[in-house]
Order: sequence, then C-alpha cells, then structure tokens
Amino acid sequence: MSDTVQKLLRPNGFVDLAWPPVAAFIAIVILWEGLIAVFEIPVYILPSPASIWLAITTNPGPLFGHAGITLYEAVAGFIIGSLMGAVLGTVFAYSKIIARGLLPYVIAANTIPVVAVAPIIIIWFGHGIGSKIAVTAFLSFFPLALNMMKGLQSYDRTIMDVFHIAAANGPQRFFKMRLPSALPYVFVGLKLNVTFSVIGAIVAEFVQADKGLGFVIMTSYRTLAMPRLWAAMLMSALIGIAFFALIALLERIFVPWHASAQDNR
Amino acid sequence: MAEPRRVPPPAPEAFVSIAGLSLTYGAPGQVLVNALQDIDIAIDKGQFVSLIGPSGCGKSTLLRIIGDLLSPSTGKVLIGGSEPREARLDREIGFVFQDAALLEWRRIRENIALPLELRGTPKAERERKAEELIQLVGLDGFQKAWPRQLSGGMRQRAAIARALSTNPRILLLDEPFGALDQITRDRLNMELARIHEVTGVTVVLVTHSIREAVLLSDRIVVLTPRPGRISRFIDVDLPRPRGLEVRNDERFDDLVRLGNRELEKGYM
Repeated sequence: MSDTVQKLLRPNGFVDLAWPPVAAFIAIVILWEGLIAVFEIPVYILPSPASIWLAITTNPGPLFGHAGITLYEAVAGFIIGSLMGAVLGTVFAYSKIIARGLLPYVIAANTIPVVAVAPIIIIWFGHGIGSKIAVTAFLSFFPLALNMMKGLQSYDRTIMDVFHIAAANGPQRFFKMRLPSALPYVFVGLKLNVTFSVIGAIVAEFVQADKGLGFVIMTSYRTLAMPRLWAAMLMSALIGIAFFALIALLERIFVPWHASAQDNR
Repeated sequence: MAEPRRVPPPAPEAFVSIAGLSLTYGAPGQVLVNALQDIDIAIDKGQFVSLIGPSGCGKSTLLRIIGDLLSPSTGKVLIGGSEPREARLDREIGFVFQDAALLEWRRIRENIALPLELRGTPKAERERKAEELIQLVGLDGFQKAWPRQLSGGMRQRAAIARALSTNPRILLLDEPFGALDQITRDRLNMELARIHEVTGVTVVLVTHSIREAVLLSDRIVVLTPRPGRISRFIDVDLPRPRGLEVRNDERFDDLVRLGNRELEKGYM
C-alpha cells in the first residue's frame, strides 16, 4: 500500500504531474466566480461555475440520460464508420484502379460540411437514433479510409523482400506485414474520429432530435437556460476526453513497439 | 546489344553455378541498360565467395538474381541443382540486406523466428531454433527487446540469425555491414567468419571493401563497371580460421593490393 503511495509521490509520478493542472483549474474557477460577482455579469452572458454545478447536480438523471444517448450515438457511429472506412482503405491499398477511380470523390465528399449533409441523412434514416449514428459514421468514414490506405502502403520494401525470400503467401503478407505497419496510421485516424464522432452526434441532434446533448443545447438556447447549456457542453467535452483516453489506451496495447520507443527516449 | 552467346553447360561439380548470365533492363522504346553481362561463376559447397566492384556494377543485382528477387535476361543459376525459385520455395536461401529490415512490431526472438512462422513450423520448435540462433549470433539477453532498442550492429546480428533460421544451404549478404562503424564492422566480420565455420553454410557476400573481402573469403569475384562483367577471380589462400591479426600478414596486403589494382582497371 505504502508502495503505491510512494509511486504516486515520486518525481514524474501521478502527483508530480497532476498538481499543476489541478491548481490551474481551482484558480480559474475562483477567478471566474470572482469576476462574475465583481462585474455583475448576467447569467445569460456567462453563468458562474456554481450555477453550472447546480444545473448538473439538481435532478442529474435526465442530463446524464441525454449524455448517455449522445455517447451511444458517437460510439456506434465511430465503430461503424471506422470499420467501413478501414475496408474501403484496404480495397484502395490493393487496387490502384479502384483507388484512382474513387479517391477523388472520397476526398471531395470529405470536404462536405457535416451540417449540410446531416439533414439529408436524417431524411434517409428517419427520426430515431439510427440517423444520428449514420451522420457520425459518415464523419468517421473518411479519416479511416485515407489512413488505412496510407498505412497499408507504408510498409518497408526491404521487409517485402524478406517476406518474398521466406516464401510468404498473400494473407501472411497482409496480416504479418502490411497490417501491423498500418496500425500507427490507423490510430491516427481513430483519434481524429473520436473528435469527429462527438461532433457528428451533436450536430445531427441539432438538426432534429428529442433527446441527446445536442437536443439539450438547442432547447436550453431557445429558453436561455444558460447554466444548463454550459452543463451540456461540459458533458460533451467529458465524453470526448474519456473516449480519447480509451483509444490512447488501446494504442498502447496494440502498438506497444511505438510506446516502448517513446519510453526509451 | 551483345550478340547471342552460347550458354556453357554449368559445371556439374559446383554447388552453385551461374552460367552465361546477363541482365538487360528498360521498357520497350527506352534506352536499354546492360546491367550484367556474361557472368559465369561456380561456387563449391561451403565456400565463402565475395562479389566486389565499383558502385553500380551490378553486384547487388547479381545477388538478387541468385536469391530469386530478380530474373536474369539470359543464362541460368542453379543452387544445389535447383533453380533459384525452387530453392527459395524450399527455404534454402537466407538473405541479409544492408538494412536489417526487422519488423518493429515484433520482439527480437519473434523477428528471428519469422521465416519459420511463415513456413508453419510449430511454436515450440520455432522458439528452440530462435534461442539457438540468438546464442550463435551473440544476442543473449535481448530475446524480448524491441528492434528499436538495439544498436545497428545488434540489429544486423538479428537479421543474420533470421536469415539462418530455416537452415538455408546458401546465405546471401548484400553489403550487410556497410552502414556500421569500423569497430562494429570488424567484430561482425569475425562473427560472420565463425558462423560460416560453425554452420558450414555456403556464403555469397557483396561488399565494396576489398579488405573485408580478403579477410573473409575463399574466393573473390571482381566485377567491372557497368555492364558488370567478371574482371577476375582472386583465390584467397590465407589459412583458416582467420582472426583480425591476419591483416598484419604480408600475404593479406598482397591480396588487397591485387584486388585494388583489379578494381582500378575499371575506372582508368
């Protein structure tokens, strides 16, 4: 037990690294409260930290329920979009002709603003959660397609020769050489998708929804319930951070050779 | 273009025979590059042969043809009676490149065992063989290290071990120590000499260092600049086993001088 405490307290341990941001957080909250009191800033311009906290803690059930819906849409869309992107990226990496034919349109589609596409997708997929997942999947699709393709093409040519000398077959080349070489790129795409998937879910809820954080933000905006709006914004940020941390953890597990290289520098 | 040339029958007693080999490349309509011309080499079983020549003479290309990474335009290569492709599919060829080309996502032991894994060798036997090779190349203690944690010389040791994992009958090395510092290079030269002695494997080494070639080889093949032709064979009659001190030998200097003179002919 005291061993754990020692570990937390040592230089570059948890406490050593965590105290500056914690201290900054406390300072910002105090300053924020103070400024509002001194300058008498109206709550619709800037609600105080205390009022946001109250908006979260009094009757937290519905807010967390909405957050759960948004989280579900973001994660489901992330998984579906990333998987489909990975498949298309693999096809592109293996077929020059298909890549040449479709890549310009994929890149063009990638530049369409999600707010422009969301209403169309909602018309297609209906008013339920499914359409929000579809918008999120749409956003998650492109980063993975492009990174998967780039990753699968990034293998070392000499390693290809090594596999040739060892008389490796096609599946062996894919699973033991090209896919592992692609993993760092895949994680670049996945990390982009974490952000995009939360954006996608909330934007889709802006367009049409009766639940989710986007819905809370829109209704709070219409009624000028600013502490509630800020609370919803905070929750969406927390979802993004937790999701990102999960992907970073997966990266450490699946790309340990990269992590170890960083440790040794 | 060279006129068609009668392909001489390969010497039957040789383990590796290269006969009437030429390589010309370039797309139709483009300028054709004559990379190799009229190469005839016979290598005995267990012999250590070096290919040496100025850069661009096609010595690496020749090695890649032996290893079935390239096909010749004319001529024939036989390794123990088989075509390079057959020999490769039978896992009888080990190849070490200038770059160690280790798989960064595998620990050293799994890198060394890779060719066995690709062949479908059971795990227990793979591990036993990898362990044996780790001892042979002097990487004990690094079984579980990641490639990035190793120095250039150690990475090259791992690459040699990997090339030997399937017990190949021929080991091809393409300037394997070119990027290493002199001290590491000396040490790895001695390791390679010892591995050759212990395993009895036939070795073909591409190098641009005549001293390295004399130190290690039974026979040196000097190639001319493009198109690469055989300029001359130098038989190295220094006694074995050789240590680095053989470099103080008068005979060593004679052979190096002979080699240098032969190489210089090409540029003059």
